[in-house]
Amino acid sequence: MIELKGVYKAFGRHPVLKGIGLKVAKGEVVVVIGPSGSGKTTLLRCINFLEKADEGELTIGQNHYHFKHASKKDILSVRRQTAMVFQSYNLFNNKTALDNVTESLIITRGVAKNEAEAIGRRLLDKVGLTDKYDAYPCRLSGGQQQRVGIARALALNPEVILFDEPTSALDPELVGEVLAVIKKVAREGITMIVVTHELAFAADVANHVVFMDGGIIVEEGTPQQLFFHPKAERTQQFLKRILPEWNYDI
Amino acid sequence: MGKLFDIQLVFEYFPKLLSRLHITLSIVFAATVLGVILGTVLALFRLAKTPILNQVAVVYISFMRGTPIIVQMFIVYYGLPLLLLMIHLDINHWDKLIFIIITYGLNMAAFMAEIIRASIIGVSIGQTEAAYSVGMSRLQAFRRIVAPQALLIALPSLGMNMMGLLQNTSIAFSLGIIDVIGKARVIGASTYHTLEGYVGAAVIFLALCILMEYGFTHIEKKLKYKMIGLI
Repeated sequence: MIELKGVYKAFGRHPVLKGIGLKVAKGEVVVVIGPSGSGKTTLLRCINFLEKADEGELTIGQNHYHFKHASKKDILSVRRQTAMVFQSYNLFNNKTALDNVTESLIITRGVAKNEAEAIGRRLLDKVGLTDKYDAYPCRLSGGQQQRVGIARALALNPEVILFDEPTSALDPELVGEVLAVIKKVAREGITMIVVTHELAFAADVANHVVFMDGGIIVEEGTPQQLFFHPKAERTQQFLKRILPEWNYDI
Repeated sequence: MGKLFDIQLVFEYFPKLLSRLHITLSIVFAATVLGVILGTVLALFRLAKTPILNQVAVVYISFMRGTPIIVQMFIVYYGLPLLLLMIHLDINHWDKLIFIIITYGLNMAAFMAEIIRASIIGVSIGQTEAAYSVGMSRLQAFRRIVAPQALLIALPSLGMNMMGLLQNTSIAFSLGIIDVIGKARVIGASTYHTLEGYVGAAVIFLALCILMEYGFTHIEKKLKYKMIGLI
């Protein structure tokens, strides 16, 4: 279980997160939606300390952390329980697809090389890249890179995988293959927090949808509730703007 | 004195010049190694903004890049022994070559520091973030992900600086070192045939430069092949 309490973060004098609380049960898929600049990505980056939140608490399983007083050891411990899939993939450019997946297993978990490679191959097979073990990132399409990114995250067997707009940098044609992989992983019961603009996808895989705007959580609920019966006016506005056709379909 | 320029003499002096090549090469290679090591340390101080050491690095780099190497050479040759004598270390008996290598190494370090710093900054921040996100420590992320990519970015500039260093060694004779240029000078002084010696030296320097260019291009290609599309 992941729990966030009172997360506050400001860049200079500009507050980005104004007290966020969020509970994610084990195996749950939480999708965070909202307009650009609403703090979704920052929230995600605060969870694994790529940004340091100014206030707030984080609970992962039995472990509690205070963002403000987190030591180097705390940060490393949080990062070893989480994994992230980036908007711009961020595969290690100097490593092959397989090495991208095995690197952290070998370096940070002390897994033996051949064992790590077996895990790596299995995961690359799972994301449909059986023929790309030895390809360097620059030789892969965006969709393939992102699937390696997902395999890299899975390899760590984390408590939660954080997806930061995983399809936003992709060609429309390639979005589908990545979403399909994420969906497959979600079905396996891995806890996920997904920031995305793909609302149809959100409606499909999410157990819980969170709508953020202006650094706060405006509304949250099941996809059914949030997408079809939004209570807050701001949520209605947002959904109307990006899903006009839904109003006619349903 | 005879002819002003005798092509025959160029060939005659050439082996004599070649016999001093090892001195020139040892200055270049030892100073490069020293420069890369010290330059990396300076670059890391700058990047980590280590208090005091960062400022020291800034001043050091400005001084070394802003003063002529011949001045630095004399400061090291005459100043360093005095400085070390204060802590009761007598280095006056050291070979002159060592002072030359120290000078060129210290000078190279200043240039390398800025090259290395720029190369590390040149590696996308996303690479570091990805390394952190999978649980690597700062050192692991640097050593395994950032440094290999930075090396590729730094390589062309490193090659250029090494060639610059090679040309710069031509004033090492000011301290009485008999390297290739020193030998050409000695030959000139004793035979009054100055030009022939220098022409021979020019051929040697040119050949070395072409070799270095070739070598660096080769290494770069090999590394790049592994990470095509990186630059």
